[in-house]
Amino acid sequence: MTAASVPSIPDLPIIHRRRWGSWVLGAFALFVVASIVIASIRTRILDLSVVGEYIFSPMIVMGAFNALVLGTLALVIASIIGFVVALMRVSGNPILMAISATYVYLFRGTPMLIQLVFWFNAVPIMFPNIYLALPFMDAPLINAPTTAVVTPFLAALAGLSLAEGAYMGEIIRGGILAVDKGQRAAATALGMTQLKVLSQVIIPQAGRIIIPAAGNQYIMLLKSSSLASAIGYLELLRVATDIYSSNFRVVELLAVAAFWYLVMTAFATAIQTVLEKVFPQR
Amino acid sequence: MSTAPEQSHAVSMVGVSKKWGAVSAFTDVSFDVPQGEVVALLGPSGAGKSTLLRCVNHLETISAGRIYVHGDLIGYRLDKEALYELSDADISRQRQKIGMVFQHFNLFKHMTALQNVMSGPVHVLRASKAEAATLALDLLDKVGLKAKAGAYPSELSGGQQQRVAIARALAMRPRVLLLDEPTSALDPELAQEVVETIRRLAEEGQTMLIATHDMGLARDVADRVIFMEGGGLAEDASSKDFFTAPKSERARQFLARLLSAH
Repeated sequence: MTAASVPSIPDLPIIHRRRWGSWVLGAFALFVVASIVIASIRTRILDLSVVGEYIFSPMIVMGAFNALVLGTLALVIASIIGFVVALMRVSGNPILMAISATYVYLFRGTPMLIQLVFWFNAVPIMFPNIYLALPFMDAPLINAPTTAVVTPFLAALAGLSLAEGAYMGEIIRGGILAVDKGQRAAATALGMTQLKVLSQVIIPQAGRIIIPAAGNQYIMLLKSSSLASAIGYLELLRVATDIYSSNFRVVELLAVAAFWYLVMTAFATAIQTVLEKVFPQR
Repeated sequence: MSTAPEQSHAVSMVGVSKKWGAVSAFTDVSFDVPQGEVVALLGPSGAGKSTLLRCVNHLETISAGRIYVHGDLIGYRLDKEALYELSDADISRQRQKIGMVFQHFNLFKHMTALQNVMSGPVHVLRASKAEAATLALDLLDKVGLKAKAGAYPSELSGGQQQRVAIARALAMRPRVLLLDEPTSALDPELAQEVVETIRRLAEEGQTMLIATHDMGLARDVADRVIFMEGGGLAEDASSKDFFTAPKSERARQFLARLLSAH
């Protein structure tokens, strides 16, 4: 070392520049948030005892559970629809591509609420009777007027799944396209058939890529399940609405409903976090 | 197949052309590669070297001609003077015996080194996992990476990734190995370890077709050089002759440019 030739430097402390701007900004943001909280407490916008009374009431919990079931099932079905739609879109077959693109355009381009109400009303008119028979059975499995079979739950599930399927289709397509082309070439060169390439290489990698976006969609769906209140399905918002229309505790019951939506969102976020940990991005 | 060439040739290219629409990659390329020979495909960028390799395992379709690997017509079935493209399953079966190594390695990112090497035997040949793992560990040992069996590609250097990729190709016991610019994405030090690996394969008698810009690899490892330029085969000579006494003017210019660049 050349330490001997260099004049010795006194061991002075090093002072880094303070980020005053970010402190000022932080203080201002905190002030704004505090003002809102204080104002809402002072004006007593809600009566906490009423919130406490309803928050675990059987009707509300049942509504929350129904919302969770509806949102979760819709996500599962939408993922299946989305997968098929995405494969059609990247297939290179012009007819399949056109069908897939049209589906996405229609179902992503119209409000979910319109779709829900539309299916609930249009399906029984289009198909007045539902008849489903299995071979080698004397009596048909289902033979009933459609209005009896298409319950609000089924109509809501179909509506949400179809609408969400369009979004999931685009998300999954994006995931497939994000997988490096070389991965497909390498798998093909090994002698994998196209089905194997898809199942062993493309889907595992695309699956990891779409987890954050799919988690987002799950949270959106859990909240969109409230749209099913429009066709009479007893989910969380519908239950809360029914209660406050008789006791006029609007803010309290909306707070109760919001609480349960937040619980569901926390649940979905937890699932997403676990999935991202179990399948880390490589 | 009366028109099939000698079985002893590992690869036979017979008047092969490749066009994308009006753009021609190469035209009327013919050569035979005997079993055990190592051929370097040289030529300037865009001469169609990589495309030619990708035609050999039908990753690219051809526009004219025929390609045989050990007597099998690749990608097509000859029937009444027409060539019909084979099914996905049949082409996949042909590819099993043709290994390929890529410029950017293309290891499966979601699999460990070991799983990458096992992927061919397990998913293509339906070998048992235990059997495939034994073979894969042997091959990783051979390329000097047994200790990295559990590492994911993102945890490996470029040179290590390329050696795993070579092991992955070898796991299928290929009769022909196609290497597409195997050292081009690596800095010289890492390229050298890959060249060493390829040299050892050459010594074992592995038939190889190597598209490359790496003159060291071509001169020291290859038996023969096929020089492509301007969409065709410009020179076909032993590696020694090509580097000491190139016959064609274009090859001379190509070599002179390379030497002045260094």
